[in-house]
Amino acid sequence: MPSLHLNAPVEPTSSPHSLLPFLQSQSQQTLNKLYSRPSSCLSIFRLLAPLQQQIIMNLLWLESTISSSTMAAWVVREEKKTYDAALSPLFRLHILATSPIKLALNPTFKTSMRQALTGGGTTGSFGVPAPKDDKYPAMGIDELDGYALERWETILHYMVSSGSGQNSMRPSKAVLYLLQQSGLMANSQGALQITSAGFQFLLHSPHAQLWDLLLQYLRLAEERNMDLVEVLSFLFMLSTMELGREYSTEGMNTTPQVAATHKAMLNDLRDYGLLWQRKSSSRRFYPTRLATTLTSSSPPLPTSTGPSSGPKEGFIVLETNYRIYAYTDNPLQTAVLNLFVSLKTDHQLSNCSCAPTNEKKMYVLSLRTPRVLVMPHSSQNPLLPVTVQDQIRLWELEKNRLKSQEGYLYTAFTSPADYELVLNYAKQLKLVLWENAAKRCFFGSLDGHANIKNFIERRTGGNT
Amino acid sequence: MVDDAVDELLGGDFALTQLVIDGKLIPLTSPSSSISPPLHWELSAREPPHNTYPLPLAAFLAQLLAFFNAHIACRHENTLAVFGAFPGKSVLLYSSSEPAVSPSADTESAMNDANAYPPFQMVDSAVVRRIMAELDALEVREDEEEAPSALVGALAKALCYVNRITLPPSANSKTQANGFHPGVLPDPRILILSVSPDLATSYIPIMNSIFSAQKLKATIDVCQIYGPNTVFLQQAAHLTGGSYIFLERRDALLQYLIMSFLPPPSIRRTLSVPTQEQVDFRAACFCHKNIVDIGFVCSVCLSIFCQPLAVCTTCRTKFPIKTLQRLNAARPLLATATGKSQTNGVGRVHSATSVSASNNGVGAQSQTTMTMTNGPSQGGR
Repeated sequence: MPSLHLNAPVEPTSSPHSLLPFLQSQSQQTLNKLYSRPSSCLSIFRLLAPLQQQIIMNLLWLESTISSSTMAAWVVREEKKTYDAALSPLFRLHILATSPIKLALNPTFKTSMRQALTGGGTTGSFGVPAPKDDKYPAMGIDELDGYALERWETILHYMVSSGSGQNSMRPSKAVLYLLQQSGLMANSQGALQITSAGFQFLLHSPHAQLWDLLLQYLRLAEERNMDLVEVLSFLFMLSTMELGREYSTEGMNTTPQVAATHKAMLNDLRDYGLLWQRKSSSRRFYPTRLATTLTSSSPPLPTSTGPSSGPKEGFIVLETNYRIYAYTDNPLQTAVLNLFVSLKTDHQLSNCSCAPTNEKKMYVLSLRTPRVLVMPHSSQNPLLPVTVQDQIRLWELEKNRLKSQEGYLYTAFTSPADYELVLNYAKQLKLVLWENAAKRCFFGSLDGHANIKNFIERRTGGNT
Repeated sequence: MVDDAVDELLGGDFALTQLVIDGKLIPLTSPSSSISPPLHWELSAREPPHNTYPLPLAAFLAQLLAFFNAHIACRHENTLAVFGAFPGKSVLLYSSSEPAVSPSADTESAMNDANAYPPFQMVDSAVVRRIMAELDALEVREDEEEAPSALVGALAKALCYVNRITLPPSANSKTQANGFHPGVLPDPRILILSVSPDLATSYIPIMNSIFSAQKLKATIDVCQIYGPNTVFLQQAAHLTGGSYIFLERRDALLQYLIMSFLPPPSIRRTLSVPTQEQVDFRAACFCHKNIVDIGFVCSVCLSIFCQPLAVCTTCRTKFPIKTLQRLNAARPLLATATGKSQTNGVGRVHSATSVSASNNGVGAQSQTTMTMTNGPSQGGR
């Protein structure tokens, strides 16, 4: 699917994955329970930076601990900072056992990670494949992709269209609750409206969007008394599953409580499009691409759907006369564009939308310029015409011409000496925003008012 | 400093025994097939006192597969292709862009294992199955020498493979539709695991491969697992910015592999990997395929000869008779110089043997070449 935002390239992440801070805030006990499953170890390992992965690998097959200085001897001197910065999150994740002089992996993590690499064990943490089902034909990858895309776009489309008053398909209650809880949508006048955080969310890559929602889900899971370890390891299990293979829910349930957690998750994740079930009572499920690419940077959504077989890229044309041509037949993309410009439906061709945009609308675009510029994947072809870029900058400058600050104006000083005295006092505290000696007045910032007022009162009190 | 660190690291015990015992990884124990590994693997597996650290093929494979899995574990997008250089034959054992064509019954059952990550299983079973099949197919006749190993073939295939996955896909190909973008495929790497000595006859093709690798910006790493240091592979690693390891502690193969060959070039800038202190830069002459200390180079086409020639056999350039006389006059001196260095036993020097002798010296070999890339796979399963 040619897409405004769905094709956004996932940069090789220089910043840590958004899940890692969440994991770091968990207790050591929780993490240890999580590390007892090979699939969780493998998934977490994948979320780490390459340097951290290498450090773990170097230590993985050693039976004894080694001193920190031995490992540090391998570090290129100029890169010492990078190395130290890579180590500290590993300590906080309790992957490395905390010790100032010795380096060693957390024994639980080490055992599970080894098991993940060599196979074996009896944890069944990579999912139990279901035996062939004779009653129904197997789901194809295309069907799964279609399902995932439909679910995901329903959510996004609902968010986008909420502001415009258009009607669109409502996602399930659970999804709406999640959107509201995460602050992406807010209740105003009896209807859910998209918030500014929600706008930002729409511009993220689908990968980031997915994790944003899942992180929110994890936070909610604690409130719903779900076992966080079970929730996390279920997600990690999904991420190591194979697309197009059917898995069984049996065999991974140990206690009734865990089984209930899994049941609830199956229902929720089905709504998000992460997995597919024939019916909600089914004991089998297929993970979709959204789930199997959780820990990778490959696109989580299929990239070619719909009947259109037109050019896959460059579907937005922005003319120097502020006219936008969008080549798409996707309602979600049209809706996203509608946030920035007013699309004229009478200009809509079979699969081409055309919208004259004025400077005011352009400014909306410029608010998110950095994002807009990176959306289609290349830095080689300049995206916006120079005249439009200039216009955007001018608008931005004009917008920034005035800066408002709250404060107090101090006037009517009786003598120049009084004025000087108070002004100097305010200047020492760096509270003066503006001054005019001729008119004997100055403007002080809001938070400094109490100070200045006190000073004046003390002075006048002293005089009388 | 780094050497001390290596020593200290290797002082530790390794968990490799566990790997080998855990029969799950390598189903080498099929009793029906009486597989005899190629000669150099047999030599490598001999117990002390022949080897301080014997390394049979099965143990080697167990560690190698763990290394493969480690590579795939790092990123979902990492791809892997394994080529085997068997006596007289090179074969593509596995490639992640074209997974097993016809999964056999036993792999199908193995795939239904809830305790293993499916991609790991696929690599492991495919590589082991293909190697066993190839070794089964090897006809070993007692009276005949095994053919030399097809290292060059495997290396050339690996380079072709790298070239194919680096090339931008054509406009209407499937990969384009998947949103995969050419040019973002970082650091193609080739790791050569060698157990056999240099094959002097393959000097020219190996050098050509090295130049191709340089052009492709592919790093060649070399691990000499058994046998003497190889001159050509040292040069291959040196010229492509790779790392060459002469494996002394063969029981610690996996640790060596992971520390030296797992990190992509970007990580090697932070965590250094062992490099060669000195590189044997000698070449083989074009006329007798001997590795020479001092050779004579045609000034027109740069062909190398072990003795002065009146006419270059490659480009037919005629050399002035005077030059020839001068060079010939200098030769006795050179000969004694070479002799001296040999008696002194200056490192790793093969004697300049004749063609027939070098043929005898080269027995059966088996080497494995592997191509690794980091980053998005084009296949996009």
